[in-house]
Amino acid sequence: MTNSIDKNITGNATPAKLQTKLSTTEKVALSLKKRHQKERRFRNTGFSAVLFGFMLVVILIGDITTKALPAFHQHWVKLDVNYQSDWLSVDANLSGYELTQQLKTANFRKVLRNSLYPMFVNEQTPKLSRKDKRSAFKLFSSNAEFTIRDALLAAPEDLNETVSIWVRLDDDVDSYLKEGFAFGTAGLRIDEQQAQWVAKLEQEQRIESRFNTSFFTASDSREPELAGIKGALMGTLLTMFVTLLLSFPLGVAGALYLEEFAPKNRLTDIIEININNLAAVPSIVFGLLGLAVIINLFGLPRSAPLVGGIVLTLMTLPTIIIASRAAIKAVPPSIREAALGLGASKMQVTLSHVLPQAMPGIITGGIIGIAQALGETAPLLMIGMVAFIVDVPTSIADSATVLPVQIFLWADSPERAFLAKTSAAILVLLTLLLVINTTATVLRSKFEKK
Amino acid sequence: MNSPLLFTLLVCLTLFSYWYGINRSLKVAGGTEHKKVLSCLPKQFGLLTAMVCGLPALITLLIFNSAEQLVIEQLLTATLPANIQALSNIDLGLYLNNIRFLALSESNQALLNNLSSSTDIALNIQLNAAIAIQKLEQQAKWLKTALVLVVSLVSVIILVRKFSITYEARQKSETIIHALLVASSAIAILTTLGIVISVLFESIHFFKSVPATEFMFGTQWSPQTAMRADQIGGSGSFGAVPLFAGTLLITFIAMLLAVPVGLMIAIYLSQYANSKFRNIAKPMLEVLAGIPTVVYGFFAALTVAPVIRSTGEYFGLSVASESALAAGLVMGTMIIPFVSSLSEDAISAVPKALKEASFGMGATKSETVIKVLLPAALPGIVGAILLAISRAIGETMIVVMAAGMAANLTANPLDSVTTVTVQIVTLLTGDQEFDSPKTLAAFALGLMLFITTLGLNILALKVVQKYREQYD
Amino acid sequence: MNNIEITQDPLAQVELTETVGNIYADDAKMSIRNANVYYGEKQAIHDVSLDLAKNQVTALIGPSGCGKSTFLRCLNRMNDTIDICRITGQLMLDDEDIYAKNLDPVLLRARVGMVFQKPNPFPKSIYDNVAYGARIHGLTNNKAELDEIVETSLQKAGLFNEVKDRLKDPGTGLSGGQQQRLCIARTIAVSPEVILMDEPASALDPIATAIIEELIDELKEKYTIAIVTHSMQQAARVSQHTAYFHMGKLVEMGKTEDIFTHPSHKLTENYITGRFG
Repeated sequence: MTNSIDKNITGNATPAKLQTKLSTTEKVALSLKKRHQKERRFRNTGFSAVLFGFMLVVILIGDITTKALPAFHQHWVKLDVNYQSDWLSVDANLSGYELTQQLKTANFRKVLRNSLYPMFVNEQTPKLSRKDKRSAFKLFSSNAEFTIRDALLAAPEDLNETVSIWVRLDDDVDSYLKEGFAFGTAGLRIDEQQAQWVAKLEQEQRIESRFNTSFFTASDSREPELAGIKGALMGTLLTMFVTLLLSFPLGVAGALYLEEFAPKNRLTDIIEININNLAAVPSIVFGLLGLAVIINLFGLPRSAPLVGGIVLTLMTLPTIIIASRAAIKAVPPSIREAALGLGASKMQVTLSHVLPQAMPGIITGGIIGIAQALGETAPLLMIGMVAFIVDVPTSIADSATVLPVQIFLWADSPERAFLAKTSAAILVLLTLLLVINTTATVLRSKFEKK
Repeated sequence: MNSPLLFTLLVCLTLFSYWYGINRSLKVAGGTEHKKVLSCLPKQFGLLTAMVCGLPALITLLIFNSAEQLVIEQLLTATLPANIQALSNIDLGLYLNNIRFLALSESNQALLNNLSSSTDIALNIQLNAAIAIQKLEQQAKWLKTALVLVVSLVSVIILVRKFSITYEARQKSETIIHALLVASSAIAILTTLGIVISVLFESIHFFKSVPATEFMFGTQWSPQTAMRADQIGGSGSFGAVPLFAGTLLITFIAMLLAVPVGLMIAIYLSQYANSKFRNIAKPMLEVLAGIPTVVYGFFAALTVAPVIRSTGEYFGLSVASESALAAGLVMGTMIIPFVSSLSEDAISAVPKALKEASFGMGATKSETVIKVLLPAALPGIVGAILLAISRAIGETMIVVMAAGMAANLTANPLDSVTTVTVQIVTLLTGDQEFDSPKTLAAFALGLMLFITTLGLNILALKVVQKYREQYD
Repeated sequence: MNNIEITQDPLAQVELTETVGNIYADDAKMSIRNANVYYGEKQAIHDVSLDLAKNQVTALIGPSGCGKSTFLRCLNRMNDTIDICRITGQLMLDDEDIYAKNLDPVLLRARVGMVFQKPNPFPKSIYDNVAYGARIHGLTNNKAELDEIVETSLQKAGLFNEVKDRLKDPGTGLSGGQQQRLCIARTIAVSPEVILMDEPASALDPIATAIIEELIDELKEKYTIAIVTHSMQQAARVSQHTAYFHMGKLVEMGKTEDIFTHPSHKLTENYITGRFG
């Protein structure tokens, strides 16, 4: 190709006369460079869109993981606790049951205070001021007095002895140690004096970082260092139990009817359209239904996993019905015909031949529905599963909360330490979802191989 | 007996009935060796007996449970003094709640002790009422147990008497199962009806105190002031236009991100990527669809919003800490896989012949995509976008956590706006009586939300269906 | 596509040797030498060599699955879109190797057009269908030129009089035969040098087929045509040269009247006398 032709490509205002002289092939050849550039641009745009999607996944997961990591360990501090009976105001002469009874209500706060103040005095400040005392006391978790109480209850012979006991640090100190933020960082309530004390404790090797077991064994608390997800996990378990128990049989039965028995008439059409539309109704509307009908009309208890389960059932039912119908449709008609030909009734064919054949697909659909229910938050807010609940629920009628709602609640809390807790709870939720979805995928691929 | 225990007992009874039905049928036949004379298998007799034992009793239990509270309340109210009965519904409800709490939290003995030691008349009324509730509940428990057991046993006895050699146990049980299947599929309809009725009913209630026109066209939204009597008209202002505008703004931002990115992903994966890349990319992108919305909300509020804010400040812009932009972008992220998978379906549904025709003419891939595939798949893509919009409008958690509460009427994405779903959550969480305009407003908003998303969804399904017919 | 099940072929015992007849043309527009096509591990075309004579119609015939369509699609590199497809040999258009690295398939396809088995008009107006190629290739500068191209193409395809009042109507609304002529008009609108036709009349009724066949006869004045067909009568009616394919190999090639009156190869004879196919 000559230079003059090249010029014509770049110059938009190609004289018409010149172009009409060219043959088709030459004209096409002229357009090629530009078109291939466009092609490359288009392709690259598509590829960047996919990469952008990847990036979003990585940022999202990475951000939450890095935020969550601090929540899995916790700093403890070693105190030399002096269990003086007069501080406790218990009678040292007692023993056995009577001593235990007295110890249960004894003044451990005084023991705690008197044991920890000496750690912070030195030559310059032989005696702590009132303000200093208060701020020193704030370094430790409000749970510390219960920790030392439990230690003494476990070993009453330590009364009037000085023993080393590990207690939790306050959440702000904990966050400070983990993240090393500068003073005055928003939400981090620790001053310079406290920071110096913490440094001193570290120097004396009194501070130790431990795996945070209470995150999994404790329920919600106002104190971040004590809050755990056990209550929410239990609530999730109970709610999912109800959901599974209701949605699976109902969904399968509905799908069986629509696919195998329903006459092709207007009513069936309406049910079908209805199910498709229900699948797209915002979840919060199901919450309104739960509030107005299930709680206010039927009088079921607010905040209970029972109600949550019913609402989530209604929400996931369309998903399960649609998936189950697809699985039932995939059963070859020859199986039905063979069984019918042997004199089985339609119901027998459906229940003992079609259903077992469709089961793997139905189970996959059910799992997907449950995964959807597991992550759902909005409708549960409507039915009051958003309350602050310290007790671990034990029945489906107890007040409870679920993991996603717990995440929502913690995300709203101002304490800095709850940020990590929230992220950690999210990680737990995502792990649960991953397990569930992987199960579904494995089941599906097993089913497809057959 | 309490309900879970009773339910367990009922299950045991049902299992027993199965065995009992088999035995009775064999007896009718005259022994195991003669079971061939029966018109149906013994286990079919058993199944029928089990169903007849369990189902009526279960229905009785459910009805009893749902009516129990209401009846007890009525009975109790009748015994209360006239001045308390004359209270408004709300106050009476609170009063009853108090009594119920007393009855729940204290033992019967403790209440009696309190009663004997107290001289306060008002308190005594409450204590007496609490004792009455405890008594009523005790009676209800017994009544329930007796009723359920009687229903199950009587139905089994009546059934078993009818057993004969020609008894069509299988047909009867199949009729019952059939009815159960019909009932299950009817739940979908009942759910829709329930939604429509509950939302509509409360909305009509609401529109009695706030005119529908004010709600639909008013530009002032401040439901919080509804409590104050010195407000004009004694109620807050319920003009929902700022909410609709806020919802649309966030939805628009979300679509601005999700539609181009989702569409380009769909094009790349269906036209350019090889199968190996596709097999990695698709599950990876589906992760975005599987993440719970509360996680997106957290991400929006605690990661994206601060980043946008500090970026905006760097350029000298004032950005609200709960900007519409943050919520919209994160919502868009959530919707990307939704748009991409539906668009990919639409693009893949275009017949291969059209693609070949275009290639055969010497078109490049991008020309084929832009000039042939996309126009041909347009209805499918439009349907996908409509569904995505419906989803964005109804999305709750992201906006609850990342968008604001203030009902600003603005088109500035850096400002804070509020949405319909945020207001529903705000109005309905926390403790409040059920009948105030404030709570009812939530249902009116719910009605709007339901109608909008339903309309979008029906429209989308219609468009997609038309499109399918074109190529079938 | 093109699964060759050797064991199931009733004539598998007949040995395939070199192509018989005359593969050469005096004035060759395209000449193919030793072409092999592979789908992954499977070889679909074995060592095929032939010429397409300029301004003449060459028919490719043979039983289904013999590779004639695959071969045709190699001639404008339509097989490029299939990842696992691999082609060796020398395929020349005039004096250019069409599989040369620096040859652009886009340009090639503009020169070697294709008409498919099933009419596949775009879901656009009749006008836009015909104008498609001219638009993407940037062949015109203004509306008048484009109008002219559309009109002459439709005229050449014998469709103009039937559709001149409804050029804005969708092309998919036409009858099957009209749709196929629309596709031909669309192809010739970019003035290709060669037109490949893959069983263009197999989806049409006899009357529409007759019209298409007449059209092919007229088109050869300006274009070189290769047509794959299932119908031997059609091959006899429209073509000047015929190539008989069997199991991915070119068995015999020659002047159409020679092939149909006294085939040299046993397989060709069996096929055209209707013993199998």
